[in-house]
Amino acid sequence: MARKRSFIPPIERVRDGFAFNIGDDEKQLITRLLTELSQLLMGESGDPRLIRIFPPAYHLADDAEADAEYQRLMREDLVASRLSGITSVNSALEAPGAVDEEAMIAFVQAINGLRLVLGTMLDVVEDHDPDDVAEDDPQVGEHHLYNFLSWLLDWAVRALSEEPVTR
Amino acid sequence: MAPTPVPVEVGKTDIDDEVVPDRPWIVLVWNDPINLMSYVTFVFQKVFGYSVEKATSLMLDVHQKGRAVVSSGAREKAEIDVFRLHEHGLWATMQQDD
Repeated sequence: MARKRSFIPPIERVRDGFAFNIGDDEKQLITRLLTELSQLLMGESGDPRLIRIFPPAYHLADDAEADAEYQRLMREDLVASRLSGITSVNSALEAPGAVDEEAMIAFVQAINGLRLVLGTMLDVVEDHDPDDVAEDDPQVGEHHLYNFLSWLLDWAVRALSEEPVTR
Repeated sequence: MAPTPVPVEVGKTDIDDEVVPDRPWIVLVWNDPINLMSYVTFVFQKVFGYSVEKATSLMLDVHQKGRAVVSSGAREKAEIDVFRLHEHGLWATMQQDD
């Protein structure tokens, strides 16, 4: 008989991969957010919400030309890589059983992508604490969402860092 | 048909014209308020194959000193490293070492 557990992590390593122990409503929320992220990635390239998704590669003023070249050549690849990751996460969230490591790595990249956009919109600072946000703050919902995604990401990284289950 | 090669004088290179080997490029990761410490450590392990100890120590350097050099090499290699870090959402840049 299975041992009763008082706490079930939202994401855990299981014998045949990784399991999402979250509700359908949470899965649907993530899928909806990722669809919005896809649209953002395919939209206006100068959108300020995307600055952390597309950071400069060459930071020195002398290398400005090299950076323009990098952005011109690599941005499309970066968008393609993000979009294909989102597609595999959406199918992983719909899969009935465990998902493989590749899908879980795509998941952490995608969730982090959402956090980069949300964090930029909220202008979060180091040691962001959602409890510091006033309940009447117009963005209180987004702060809680950001916190939820951070919590989920941390568990996903923890699961990926664990040794595979051999028993 | 290819023209017959004409012998050229060799050995006249002036020492001052000697090509200086390219200085290596370094890849830096900068501290930012969004990326989680656990996630950054994971990315260093995955992208570079670093041990958990090395990845953790680099992550702490980023967190405490504001930045860390995570790899170095030829320009093309550095650019690939930067791209892979950007795919994971890290704030990575490159510069020629001085």
